[in-house]
Amino acid sequence: MLEKMSENLTKAINKIKNAMFVDKKLIKEVVKDIQKALIQADVNVRLVLNLSKEIERRTLEEEPPKGLSKKEHIIKIVYEELVKLLGEEAKPLNIDPKKQNIILLLGLQGSGKTTTAAKLARYLQKKGYRPALICADTYRPAAYEQLKQLADKIHVPVYWDNKKPEEIVKEGLEKFKKADVIIIDTAGRHKEEKGLLEEMKRIKAITNPDEIILVIDGTIGQQAKIQAKAFKEAVGDIGSIIVTKLDGSAKGGGALSAVAEIKAPIKLIGVGEKIDDLEEFNPKKFIARLLGLGDI
Amino acid sequence: KKEIVIVEEDIEDILEELRIELLEADVAYDVVEKLIENIKNELIGKKITPEDNIEEITLMAIKNAIKNILSQKKIDIYKIIEENRKKGKPTVIVFVGINGTGKTTTIAKLAYKLKNKGYSVVLAAGDTFRAGAIEQLEKHGKNIGVRVIKHKHGADAAAVIYDAIEHAKAKKIDVVLADTAGRQATNINLMDEMKKIVRVTKPDLVIFVGDALTGNDAIYQAEEFDKAVGIDGVILTKVDADAKGGAALSIGYAIGKPILFLGVGQRYEDLIEFDPEWFVKKLFGEEEIRFSTEREF
Repeated sequence: MLEKMSENLTKAINKIKNAMFVDKKLIKEVVKDIQKALIQADVNVRLVLNLSKEIERRTLEEEPPKGLSKKEHIIKIVYEELVKLLGEEAKPLNIDPKKQNIILLLGLQGSGKTTTAAKLARYLQKKGYRPALICADTYRPAAYEQLKQLADKIHVPVYWDNKKPEEIVKEGLEKFKKADVIIIDTAGRHKEEKGLLEEMKRIKAITNPDEIILVIDGTIGQQAKIQAKAFKEAVGDIGSIIVTKLDGSAKGGGALSAVAEIKAPIKLIGVGEKIDDLEEFNPKKFIARLLGLGDI
Repeated sequence: KKEIVIVEEDIEDILEELRIELLEADVAYDVVEKLIENIKNELIGKKITPEDNIEEITLMAIKNAIKNILSQKKIDIYKIIEENRKKGKPTVIVFVGINGTGKTTTIAKLAYKLKNKGYSVVLAAGDTFRAGAIEQLEKHGKNIGVRVIKHKHGADAAAVIYDAIEHAKAKKIDVVLADTAGRQATNINLMDEMKKIVRVTKPDLVIFVGDALTGNDAIYQAEEFDKAVGIDGVILTKVDADAKGGAALSIGYAIGKPILFLGVGQRYEDLIEFDPEWFVKKLFGEEEIRFSTEREF
């Protein structure tokens, strides 16, 4: 993940490390390099411009704290601003073992919700929970068959019926009273499909989910911000983000833009098509790796 | 008449604005930089008169450059089908791309279009890997009244498509549309499997299906798939999601292949022919375009 971005950022960082003096010209040059790396990684353009402005301002204005050289200070600022963007701490998915937890998955068409639903069930199963799945996608042909085939492999029950999504969800909740986590898969939708966003709202009202998760394709570009905003406006608080397809060549910067827009943390990332290909996400480690800094 | 020579400072601000606008429309970074550089080279030193609007001249230059990239040598899919028909053989089209871009749905839409134009079509369930993929294609086939040739889940994809071609030959069917599993270009095994599919089935066209919401990754995807199997044309999907669709430009620039159709919604009829003029207007937000939000699937 993010290899090219990391490469470019490391290059920028090295420019500072190897410089004889740190002057205004060098700072500007480095900020430009960082800009390029972030835009190529699909971070929102406006976000990048603001971010780089902030890095430049802080670098020029702030005095390095005791014990840090000017160079080390710039690196620290870049690191801090990127970490700020991603949310500081790793935020694990919270499951309350004393009650039934309801998780609602939503996202754009083809972002990977169904595969992620099964992966999430597997992830929770390994932690000792008994998950159940509800397929509330009534549009996409064979959506249920897809989820069922995945769930059968891990022996997790799936509910679906040839009805409206709202009814499927109601009946599924009734049926899975004993499951400690219920994961609801929904149809893909985008911000222009107002009717579908309304439907999403109704499903949320019925299920009263403990966690709403936005599933984002790691390859998404500049649309990430505005689409994430539309989802947030439709359902209120989105608790977390899962970024998918990070085993490919995508750099995942679009997801960062979504994070910044809806203020929800990335909790898990999808790194392949297999059911076990879901990993916990750690922002600090991630940025440190991104900048080639090792653990800070 | 007085003449003015354009110098860099005259166009700097305009180009910076355009640069951001193109980046925000999802045109890949490298493509934007190249475009801006080309425009600079074209305009600096050029003579204009005081009446000329330098902003307009710059904008026109960039639009023309974009149109040129998008106006690759066209592929007339219907002509190919007609010619093959005369020779008494089916036209075989294989669809490739990464996961979730819309290959299966696009195949259903194209089958629907071809059927409406009077061609007979058979679908090949060449995605034998993803859960529910075969069932998904079968349901589409049923909805639009087109036969689907399938094997079991996990079967050899090339063999399924080969069978569909044999079926088309025997039944004098005009077109075989072959689905394949989504694959990441970084996955060497799956890229090799795709090469095998193309080697064995010798399609008339290999179509790359790309997602209009993709950012800079569009270039890498297109290049890698093109390197592996040789892409003939491109279909860009999910343009209805308010995507500006700069990915079209990135792909066109990267591999120099034409965009054939755009996917613009969740109905079978939501597949439109690509028109560079229209697309440039859309890219620059000069035309308010509304797509249907009705769903058939």
